[in-house]
Amino acid sequence: MSAVQADVGSKQSAGATVARQEGAASFREVLDSEKFIVTMEMTPPKGTDLEPTLADAEGCRGHVDALTVTDNQSSNMSLGALVLSLRLKERGLLPILQVSCRDRNRLALQSDLLSAAHLGITDIMCLTGDHVVLGDHPEAMPVFDLDSVTLLQVARGLVEGHDMVGNELKGPAPRFTLGAAVSPGSEPLEPQLLKLEKKVAAGAEFIYTQAIYDMDRLRSFMEQISHLDVPIIGGFCFLKSARGCQFMNNNLAGVTVPQSLIDRFEKCDTSEARLECSIEISAELISGVREACRGVHLMALGWERHVPTVLEAARV
Amino acid sequence: MEQVKPIPSGLAHSLAYFFERFWKEKVFGCQMCGQCILKSTAYVCPTRCPKRMRNGSCGGYDADGKCEVYPDRDCVWCKIYRRAALLRRIEALREFRPPIDYGLFCTSSWYNLLKRNIDWVGHSQRRQADTEG
Repeated sequence: MSAVQADVGSKQSAGATVARQEGAASFREVLDSEKFIVTMEMTPPKGTDLEPTLADAEGCRGHVDALTVTDNQSSNMSLGALVLSLRLKERGLLPILQVSCRDRNRLALQSDLLSAAHLGITDIMCLTGDHVVLGDHPEAMPVFDLDSVTLLQVARGLVEGHDMVGNELKGPAPRFTLGAAVSPGSEPLEPQLLKLEKKVAAGAEFIYTQAIYDMDRLRSFMEQISHLDVPIIGGFCFLKSARGCQFMNNNLAGVTVPQSLIDRFEKCDTSEARLECSIEISAELISGVREACRGVHLMALGWERHVPTVLEAARV
Repeated sequence: MEQVKPIPSGLAHSLAYFFERFWKEKVFGCQMCGQCILKSTAYVCPTRCPKRMRNGSCGGYDADGKCEVYPDRDCVWCKIYRRAALLRRIEALREFRPPIDYGLFCTSSWYNLLKRNIDWVGHSQRRQADTEG
């Protein structure tokens, strides 16, 4: 653990035009700062070669504050999130490890949380996780032994020095900064609000939103949760084409891409025009999120290399 | 030192299981979790949720409140919320529900309540401080 931490501390930014301070030891430091937070999603590959993923992450060094690492995203099997988080940490980048309740029971979840803490990965997002039927192994056993609220409580318990049944942990207790997720685009919204209140009560210190494209909806959501004292990071997936937008509308629960954005893609006939349109839309969305939220979360879906351009266009 | 009470079994339990299942399965689609919290979920069984969520909905329901796993079914938690609003029981949904005690799964809630394996709300009480020494 100490070797990893020393390594992380010694790494310095190589770029000359670094916009963001690097080397934040934890997401807590970022949350405590005044700045508008920018984070990006990293998805581990389906395979053993991490180099392309790490190259994508390197490309965003200095542009984002932290990288969330997905845990078998959308129930599609991939390399472990903990491994990619460690590799990012070793390179001086700040990973936020997503932990989903879909694949592990309460023993494995607690064990993995302790493993993460040992490796110096202390920023954890506690998620219930997508159901297995939505992924590439729909025949799998859906575990869901705990849910996101109980996982938050369990992690909070570990911080206090005991496991979920009250057995004491040996040695120093882990120090987690815990996050959770909410879906502001869901209809009806009330069940989401109730759950969010529970998550904050259970110890969530930051909240990521499901992809949102309707800024009026986001603003009204923020008004409805104004009684909760928790930073909200508004997220969205990069839109790449009209067909991609339609796919999201048809397949992602709680995500609606407005027709006005789809129409803009329909006017583009070359891939260059679509890319330009995508960057333009993303920059507008970032500005919209900036007005309402504490930070923005970019889900680039394979377009990680365009993240710096988008951030530049959005002047973040 | 804590002790965990054994999984319920025996003739009395089997009888309770049979009669409880007989009508609760028909009326509520009961899954026999053995730790019934129907009272606090406006009499909609949360164990019917494909993720067996006890603390509220996930983000996986679509615009008309349909479950993304079974698109022809209403999201259990949207249903719970709707009915709780109607019965003015929203406050009960704010309470924290501990995770399911799988030692009680496929047992009778009635028997468990009688034997104090669960409390009145339906939370497992199998883990108890050993008072005898």
